[in-house]
Order: sequence, then structure tokens, then C-alpha cells
Amino acid sequence: MINYILNLLTLATIYSIAAASLNVLVGYAGIFSIAHAIFFGLGAYAGAQFALLIVPDVLLASLIGAVVSGALSLLLALPALRVRGEYFVAAGLGLQMVGITIFSEAHSLTGGHGGLVGIPAATLFGFDVSSPGAFLIVCLVALLLSLAVIQILMRSSFGRALMSIRDNESAAESFGKNVPLLKTLAMVVGCAIVGVAGTLFAFNLAFINVESFTLEQSILMLAMVVIGGVGTLSGPLIGAVFLLILPAILTFIPFIPPTEIGTVQQFIYGSLMAVLMIFKPSGIAGKTGGK
Amino acid sequence: MSNVLLSVRGLSKNFGGLAAVQSVDMDLQEGVVTALAGPNGAGKTTIFNLMTGNLVASAGDVLLHGKSIIGKKPHRIAQMGIARSFQDLRLFTHMSVRDNVLVAVEPESWFWQPGGKAAWHKRLETVEKALERTGLSAMADKRAVDLSYAETKFLSLARILATGSKIWLLDEPASGLDLNSRNRFINILREATADGVTICLIEHNLDVMTQLADRIAFLDQGKKLAEDVPEKVLRDPELIAIYFGKSQSGN
Repeated sequence: MINYILNLLTLATIYSIAAASLNVLVGYAGIFSIAHAIFFGLGAYAGAQFALLIVPDVLLASLIGAVVSGALSLLLALPALRVRGEYFVAAGLGLQMVGITIFSEAHSLTGGHGGLVGIPAATLFGFDVSSPGAFLIVCLVALLLSLAVIQILMRSSFGRALMSIRDNESAAESFGKNVPLLKTLAMVVGCAIVGVAGTLFAFNLAFINVESFTLEQSILMLAMVVIGGVGTLSGPLIGAVFLLILPAILTFIPFIPPTEIGTVQQFIYGSLMAVLMIFKPSGIAGKTGGK
Repeated sequence: MSNVLLSVRGLSKNFGGLAAVQSVDMDLQEGVVTALAGPNGAGKTTIFNLMTGNLVASAGDVLLHGKSIIGKKPHRIAQMGIARSFQDLRLFTHMSVRDNVLVAVEPESWFWQPGGKAAWHKRLETVEKALERTGLSAMADKRAVDLSYAETKFLSLARILATGSKIWLLDEPASGLDLNSRNRFINILREATADGVTICLIEHNLDVMTQLADRIAFLDQGKKLAEDVPEKVLRDPELIAIYFGKSQSGN
């Protein structure tokens, strides 16, 4: 039971990092990315391969995951940054489909549909950190560092510039802001951080395959950001906990038959999201008011 | 003759079959306020968009200090010292009033700004001065979306003021303001011109035009029909007829 709770908290922590990184794109830069699970996957595969082939050090593997995901965001996202609004969403969908196809077909790198199995237990500076408690602490430290990086960046002139292009690109340009550069940097930062989350995810499960990086996962991350509150530091965390912990809590409610839990979950989620979007469209942690 | 800072030569813009701007020549002289007047659809805002790189000209040239800036990106032109406002203001609505102005004085798009702490304090000082001058100091921490209409107009001006640019292109900057606010607005613009700022403004309000403009360039259907001092342009019956509509020209 304790291990189950620790694993659940670990998963919520990892998804909090992923949602916080997506918030850099959606909440601060106004880049409505619907392919974030691909970059989560890139970090997971890169970190897992590093652990399998070189050393299962979670710090080094996370750095590799961040670099690979951040760097590939440049190659894959630059063409997409040329379009805006709904066209960017369509481009993101295309990117998601291409990414999933590559993950499924690049057997030597990803293991194809079978995935990568036997990812070794995580170590840190030679110490075993694979126990549920130790790995949760590692993930919590990663979350705190990620939030610190995001907070520092978003309070700086870079963060202000991102928010200015989110609110109005042409006005930001008229004050000397290089919009393509800013969007590219936001993509690199957001995707590098989700690369860390991906690596932690791979270590946590010791097995990854393409199923963990599908469009549903991208939408789940987006839902975490939107429900929690876009453009806020705590919002994505609240969203991640809400969307991952609530299903687990429902399984403990005695009067819900186990076979009906899925239906009840869907009903509760659907109702809550509808109520939230009507009465607090800025999300749970979002600023209220305004026109 | 004054020093010409910005000039357009044979500037044209076609949208498909529509000639929005047709071979316009114009000079913006240092410290001089030039108003672009004319009915809706005359091509005034299009000329601004061509000057600032938001639109690519079909023909002609835009010269800043005698050098062509045609083909340059809007952010590069802004960095070269041309500041502009928009008719629909385009504030950064979910940012604070202070951050709206701060964005305008932070030149770099990278992770850092040049000049270290000294430059940071200087930028903050510039922002506070611009807020004070426009009467927005008390609402510096408010979000732009929560401001009143007049306050949004002054915020739009505060951003321009803070840039330190010497050429301002203002698109209907005082439209919709009450008399008091408008007078305050005009005073700020007058002070700016006294400090050597060159202003080109689009304005429909004749009071504002006559109080501010040293010269008026009159446009209709993309063509510049006249350019002269306000007394001459605003007394030309043909231009007045175009401006107010033919049916009123006899009144």
C-alpha cells in the first residue's frame, strides 16, 4: 500500500514537471503545443538508452534526455513556428503523428512497439536510488529545480518578452522583440525540461513503449495545464495532481463497483471540467477577473 | 530646411487588384509633427505598416536617415528607433502596467539584457518616469486588461515614451478621449516634440490635428493629394469635400 502511494506520488511529480514545462509554451509564450508527449518520449528514450548502454545515473541520463529533447525541438519545431493559431495546432498534430510513427518504426533506438525493457535501476553518484521512497525524493528535487528554472526565467526580461508575444505578437515586434527567436527559445526550454520528466518516467517504470507518448498523453498534459491554470507556477502542479490522484482516490470509494469506476471517473471529470470552464476559465490557480 | 529623418519614395502597396497605396512621397522632418489625414480606406495605416515592415511594399522605398529599410523585419526597424502605436492599442493585456512599459525598454530577445545592474536600474527609472508622465504610476501593478479606456490610451503612449525612440508613428492616439484627457495627451506630445521627437500621426479629430500638426498630408484612395500647413489643407474645399463626403461640401 505504501509503495502504491509512493509510486502514485512519483508519477504525479513526473507529470507535474511535464505540465510545468508545457506551461512555458502554452501559458507564457502562447504556443499551443499539442505534441508535448513526443518530447516527453524523446527524453524517455534518450535517458533509457543512456542508462541501458552507458550508466544508469539518473542525473546524467536526465541531462542527456534534456539535451536530446531540447535539441530535437529545434529541428522539429522550427518549421511549425512559421504558422500561428489553429494552423500551429494542426502542425502540432502532424508532428505528434510523425513522432509516434518514428517511435514505432525506429526499432534499434526505441524497441518499436515492444518498447525498451529492462531499464536498469536508477543510481545517483553510484548510490542506488531506485527504492520508491528514494526515487520520489529524486523526482521531487527535479520538480523543484524545474520550477526554480521556470520561475527565474519567467520573472526575467525573457519571461516578459514571452508573455508579450503571447498577448500580442505584432505589438511585441513593434518594441523590438524577435518573435521567432523567442518562440524557439521557449520551445527549447520547455522541451528540455519535459525531456527530464521523460527520463524519470523511464526509470520509474523500467519499461517504456510508444503507448506512453500518444496524442492522449499530449492532451492529458494540456488538460493539466488548463485545469490547473495557464501562466501560473502552481497551476500545472495542481492540474497534474488533480488528474492523476483523483482516479486513485475514486478506487477507494466503497460504494462504487470496481467495474463502474471508469464511468464514474469520466462523469466526474467531464462535469468538473465543464463547471471549471464556465465559472473559472483561467483554471484553478488562474487569476480571476479581467475582461 | 530641417533634417529629414524618415522619408518614403514612390511607396506603393497592392492587395490583389486593390491599390491601397499609390506612389506616395513624403518626408518626416526632425521635430516636426506630420498628420496623415483622409477618409477611411485612404491608405494611412497601410503606410505605417509599410514604414515599420509589417507589410512588404509592392514598389518604392522607405529611407531612415537616408538608408533603405525596405525588407527589414519589424523588430529590426523598431530597434533602429521607430516606435509605433496601433489604432486598437494592442496592449499586453494580461501583464501589469509596469511590465507593459518595461517590455518596451528591454531591447534583447535572449535570456538576458545588456549592461548589468546599472542598466537595469536605468530601465526601471525610465519606466517609472514614463508612468509618472502619463499619470499611470498609481496603477503600475494593475493588469492592462483592468484599466479604463482613457488609461489604456495613456499606457499605449507610455510604452512609446519609454522607448526613447526619436520617430513616433501614432495611429489615432487620442481618439475617444474626453476633453481633459485629450488636452493632457496633447501636452505630452508637445513636450516630446520640444525634446526633438518627430511624430507622424493618423488622426480624424480636427481639433487634435490643428493643435498638434505642423503639416498635414492628405490622402485619398491610396494617393497623396496634398501636403502643406494645416491652415491651407483644411481650407481646401476639394479636400474638405472628400474628407466629409461630397454631400456636405456645400455646407
